[in-house]
Amino acid sequence: MEQVVQSIQDSLRASQSVSTPFDSIWTRGDVPTVAPSGLEQIMLSNDKIFVVLAVVLLIWIGLIFFVYRTDRRLSQVERSLEDRIYESDDEI
Amino acid sequence: MWTRQENIPESGLKEHPHVRIGRYALVRNTVFLGLTAVVLAGFLVNIPRINILEHTARNLYFHVPMWFTMMAAVGVSGYHSFRLLQTGSLIRDIRAMQAARVGAWFGVLGLLTGIIWSKFTWYVGTDVWWNFDPRQTMASLQLLIYGAYFVLRSALEDPDRRAKIAAVYNLFAATTTPFLLYVIPRQLESLHPGAEGNPAFSEITEPVMRLIFYPAIIGFIGLFWVLYTQRVRIAWIKYRVSRDPEL
Repeated sequence: MEQVVQSIQDSLRASQSVSTPFDSIWTRGDVPTVAPSGLEQIMLSNDKIFVVLAVVLLIWIGLIFFVYRTDRRLSQVERSLEDRIYESDDEI
Repeated sequence: MWTRQENIPESGLKEHPHVRIGRYALVRNTVFLGLTAVVLAGFLVNIPRINILEHTARNLYFHVPMWFTMMAAVGVSGYHSFRLLQTGSLIRDIRAMQAARVGAWFGVLGLLTGIIWSKFTWYVGTDVWWNFDPRQTMASLQLLIYGAYFVLRSALEDPDRRAKIAAVYNLFAATTTPFLLYVIPRQLESLHPGAEGNPAFSEITEPVMRLIFYPAIIGFIGLFWVLYTQRVRIAWIKYRVSRDPEL
């Protein structure tokens, strides 16, 4: 556990020593630094592997969501196709 | 134009007028196998730990292909819009629309994964999630331009008129894409790799990463092709049923 805390603190120090030109230009001041939140503690542990997991899961869920949307469109088209077939039956 | 077929053969789908179903199935199966391999390799192959990046360097295989895929989708969409203006054939409108639809969705995923990645690298130790980094800002602007394309389409009733007006707008949207995604962000100071003095690939990039990165790009573009072809097929049926290809 101590090692984890140590590695988090190390990575925090490392990140703060890196200049972020963009921040200083646009916010005209220091970026407020906060103690690592619970989420950050998890995401920074194990050399940040959980960030990769989050990214992959997000893509996976996003793709599933898209497939569902396509599926819904397919159902709509199927329903209107059925309506058409019944209509043409009436004509006969 | 659609002529009524009285006797649809048993193998009707194999003679789809616009999609080669056999090739589609081959691409689909290859993509599913290939992307499975990419995800496995992406997590399992050992890479050196660079300060700040650590394991998140592996996001190269997942976040970056989203944008390559969107760029490819924009190319496909723009090409079909161009062809629509030449030929007036509505299948071009279907293809342009569905390529933009799937491509924009990959763009949304690219933006969201980018926000997560930046939160735990650029903005670690702060409570910042979004800081108007030029790269992210331009990318979201790009997505808004495509959002306007979908709104424009939904505002027009007549399919032929909609196809032409939307194609003109889509050519504009496709032209802005390389500038907003690549040219302008490189002129500005950004934390995103690919700017001056901060190359996306450099001599410290582990060589094996390229071996996973390139298949990942091909795989995700193939996945785009699969999702796009599915929607083209559905839109074509919709057109045959209701004379309106809009899904």
